[in-house]
Amino acid sequence: MWKYLVDDIKIIDLIYAARWPLYLTAAAMPLAVAFGLILALMRMSRIRILSWPATCYIELMRGTPLFVQLYLVYYSLPEIAGIFGPDAKQFMTLEAFPAAVLCLAANYAAYEAEIHRAGLLAVDKGQREAALSIGMSEWQAFYRVTLPQAFRIVLPPIINDAIAMQKDSCLTSAIGVKELLSYATSRGNNNEIGKPKMYLAAGVLYTILSLAFYFLGKFIERKLKARGGAELNLNQARH
Amino acid sequence: MLEARGIHKSYGPKVVLRGVDLTVAKAEVLTILGPNGCGKSTFLRCLNLLEQYQQGSVFLKGEQVSEGRPEDHNPSKDEQTRAQRLRQRVGMVFQRFNLFPHMTVMQNVMCGPKHVLKKSDAESADIAEKTLKKVGLWEKSPCDPLTLSGGQQQRVAIARALAMNPDVMLFDEATSALDPVLTKEVFKVVRDLASEGMTMLLVTHDMDFARDIADRVVFMEGGIVAAQGSPNYIFDERPTDGIRKFLEKS
Repeated sequence: MWKYLVDDIKIIDLIYAARWPLYLTAAAMPLAVAFGLILALMRMSRIRILSWPATCYIELMRGTPLFVQLYLVYYSLPEIAGIFGPDAKQFMTLEAFPAAVLCLAANYAAYEAEIHRAGLLAVDKGQREAALSIGMSEWQAFYRVTLPQAFRIVLPPIINDAIAMQKDSCLTSAIGVKELLSYATSRGNNNEIGKPKMYLAAGVLYTILSLAFYFLGKFIERKLKARGGAELNLNQARH
Repeated sequence: MLEARGIHKSYGPKVVLRGVDLTVAKAEVLTILGPNGCGKSTFLRCLNLLEQYQQGSVFLKGEQVSEGRPEDHNPSKDEQTRAQRLRQRVGMVFQRFNLFPHMTVMQNVMCGPKHVLKKSDAESADIAEKTLKKVGLWEKSPCDPLTLSGGQQQRVAIARALAMNPDVMLFDEATSALDPVLTKEVFKVVRDLASEGMTMLLVTHDMDFARDIADRVVFMEGGIVAAQGSPNYIFDERPTDGIRKFLEKS
């Protein structure tokens, strides 16, 4: 059984290609978390010029498939920009990898926004009141009291989403990003090993990558001694 | 020291405060009693602008510190700064303590002097040490606040408020979440503060606490001050029907 899997040098190449899901997630996830926080604050604002666009963005991004969004950003966006002239079209024509990162970040930001919002609302109102009562400004109360507590609450769901993004990264092969899945397909086509073996190997590698995030999450949780936070769960399906 | 004139507050159609007038002299201790829903907590929270009242004004040491604003009013930057400065002079202790769980006891108490008054680390630590010693919890300073008993947490909360050196201290049902034993701990600290001349307003359901500590008792009912006077006047003479009914039940 092991001989079947390991007897070819191409498998080692595949393991090297497994760095791509990691690269894509490492690039897109921080952007998604940061942008998601901004969206969450906009959505929770009393000023309608802020809350309304944020809500629309969140519902739109959550409501359309990531796969479709990838095609739209890579193929349709330059054409639409072309209405404004050839320079605009040129500006909006992105290479596969940046387009993929942008798309992953933009899509996941919507989900992270809802996680941030839930986390912020979960912090007891009395915390903000206590902070204000010792003379802190609203901003100080948010930054020094509410946000640190919300952070501990949102960390497990965010790690969950990082795992999901890593799996979703294989969708980016549709717009030509050279990552793990496309590598498995192309190598599987070109030699006698065949696709079945390559895909099996790719599947195993994705699982190992997910486990790496799982252990990272456990490590961070232990470090923060999170109290009352959600348990990290690999089985939380999203798409 | 502190004066509230004609405080009116509503939440939409529901009127909670119907013109509360109250004056508190320096070093005076006031307890505010009344049935649930009479507006006593709301009134207290209007004094440090955790709630915005619609009509009336509040004066601290003769200077006006806040005024009434319509319900949907969004405070301007200046108004927010003014409210902030007011809260630096008026400390509050909450029923559920509201200690910051992501900081140690020491950090909780240092928070005010360090981040609000912008004092140096050394100075803030010094102030924190003094106030923690005053409430008798200095040895707990490196601890996680959630490992403390309720009474201890409340005393830390008092220390946190005291670290800002306020002119007035407000206690919003500070012992309602505590059993009689723990209440005694907190009561001792409050009594010490009173003897040191701190001006205090306490909203409480604890009648013994209220009677023992107060220079003056204020009875609120239906959003206004129904009666006020010495503890003997309120508790023994029971000047109004409302007071009689209220005290009979407890």
